[in-house]
Amino acid sequence: MADSPVLLIARQSARFVLRERTVALLATLFVALVLISAWLGWQATATVDRIYVDAAAFLQKSGQPVPPNPVLDISPLSLMRNMSVYVALIGALSAIVIGNRLVGLDRKAGILPLMGIRPISRAAYALGKIAALAGLILLLALLSGAIAALTFLMLPAVAPTAGQWAQLAGFIGASALYMAIFGLAGLGTGAAARSETVGLLVPVTLWLTLTFILPQLTANLNPTAAINPISALAPLPSTPFFDAASQILGPFSLADSYKFASARLLDYLPQGIASPSFIPPVADLVLATILATAFAWRALIRLSMAQGDYNV
Amino acid sequence: MSDALLVPGPVRTLAAKDVRDALRDRFILIVTAFLGLAATVALVTGAIALRGDVATYEAAKATLLAIGKSADAIKAPEFYPLRLLRGAIEQIEIIGAAIAILIGYRSAASERGRQTLALIFTRPMRGWQFVAGKALAGLGLLAGGLGLVLGGLALVLHLMSGIGLTADDLLRIAVVWAVAVVYTACFFLLGFILTLHMKQPSHALLVAFAVWLVLVLIAPQIGDTLDPDNQVAGGVFKQLSIAKPDQVQIMKGFANYETLRDGIEQASVTKHFERLSFAVLGIKATYTGMPLGPILTQMLANLVWILLTALGLGALALALPLNPDRLAIA
Repeated sequence: MADSPVLLIARQSARFVLRERTVALLATLFVALVLISAWLGWQATATVDRIYVDAAAFLQKSGQPVPPNPVLDISPLSLMRNMSVYVALIGALSAIVIGNRLVGLDRKAGILPLMGIRPISRAAYALGKIAALAGLILLLALLSGAIAALTFLMLPAVAPTAGQWAQLAGFIGASALYMAIFGLAGLGTGAAARSETVGLLVPVTLWLTLTFILPQLTANLNPTAAINPISALAPLPSTPFFDAASQILGPFSLADSYKFASARLLDYLPQGIASPSFIPPVADLVLATILATAFAWRALIRLSMAQGDYNV
Repeated sequence: MSDALLVPGPVRTLAAKDVRDALRDRFILIVTAFLGLAATVALVTGAIALRGDVATYEAAKATLLAIGKSADAIKAPEFYPLRLLRGAIEQIEIIGAAIAILIGYRSAASERGRQTLALIFTRPMRGWQFVAGKALAGLGLLAGGLGLVLGGLALVLHLMSGIGLTADDLLRIAVVWAVAVVYTACFFLLGFILTLHMKQPSHALLVAFAVWLVLVLIAPQIGDTLDPDNQVAGGVFKQLSIAKPDQVQIMKGFANYETLRDGIEQASVTKHFERLSFAVLGIKATYTGMPLGPILTQMLANLVWILLTALGLGALALALPLNPDRLAIA
């Protein structure tokens, strides 16, 4: 039986994009950073443990009480806490590039008028592109999940429980949603923009705003603190401005939502800290994915099949 | 021909034309406004948070005095206006560098897109003059944009701080502006070189962004993450109630670890810009209140690193032979 047009478009688009060297470069960088995040988590935690041993000896010698080891409170899942940062940085950027290339390559190759004379509906084209994006992002997310799982299996001192494995799966799901939001934005602007560069720059500007500007308004988080998994979870400054800003801007601050969802799922959310937004973090990511899908769908449906290349 | 070599007329002409083109195009204005917005948000939110700390301190002090206790037990929040620029400097090091890549990309891509390079070379112009003209225009645009942003921030700070800025404060901001121009020039040259010499300009832009990610975000982030004090909420030493001198003593046993962590940070030109700016503005507590001269002496290595990176990339841009066949749109 012949494949459906949606499946054909999805498969062909995904293959076309995977041949792109820049996509391969970003995807490789992402996978490498996921591996590094495992090392970082282990190295940093082991160092804190050794500092505790030295500090405990020092405190005992000076006759002071020795507090409990903070490492003992750390869940094995939190070893992968840096992964949330790399998903938010390189994962999101890779997704934008994948989304942009999925439609940009068709536009640049000038094949849209050719597709316009085939018996393929606009809806099938749009659905095929969105399916290709979903497949590629799922592939990236599953790859990062497999690396995380392998890391846990290889470290003898780390033995996650069944519940913790489920939490890890939940984190991979949240990461896929977060990357999909940016991928869909890249797909939508790639279809709607008149120039190739604008199609890429608009979602990158959105990403910069969500990652570095909104967290400053909602929680006075400076950019470097916003990309440190622990520093990013500092308590809100207790002023009416930040109370109001975190409530009003909370649902739009997707980087904050992903940060809280990751911290909850990977067990490194400090006690007493919670997302100040009135929409729970995961629900916020789901809502944003739906909106981004609607945007990408609309842009793809309206894409002119009579025009070969970009206007500018 | 010898005149063309000695007189920098073509360089000036090309630079002036590039600046005119850039100003006519709203792109530069839009990205400068975006950086200005990000930096102002950082400044204003920092000031609001500080005001909150002061209000909390005043309330606690009033409570202590009301019950007849001394207010010495609580520490008053410190107020140094320039410290409020921390978030803005971080925005410049991240978003400013990204904007510089875009300016470099556009500077090279415009000639490739319009296929005007062959035309330019029908005039008495050498390859190095073309590169120097483009670089001069890029530096001018960066200097102007950063001047506007930092000037605007200084004005907001002057009006908002309540105590105004002194001449010394303005001099420190001017030093940071000069270093920021050289720092962003590194990324301008990166975007320019890649776009001029890679087969496809759009690929060059993505490769430049991948380098930006690694140098600006990932290398400093790895160093920051490996900081033991960033592993536990509030800081490991604070949680263990260990005083600063004892912390230094304990950390002596982790010299190799700290060397590795510092080495990763040092690999990034961004960290050198951050260290220098934070010292000059007194954001890092060690340098607060210290005169500018000794700070610049101590920070000389960071300054040299930034200058050498920019000069190295500049030399590379001049040294790479221009291939007119590659300058058609790919």
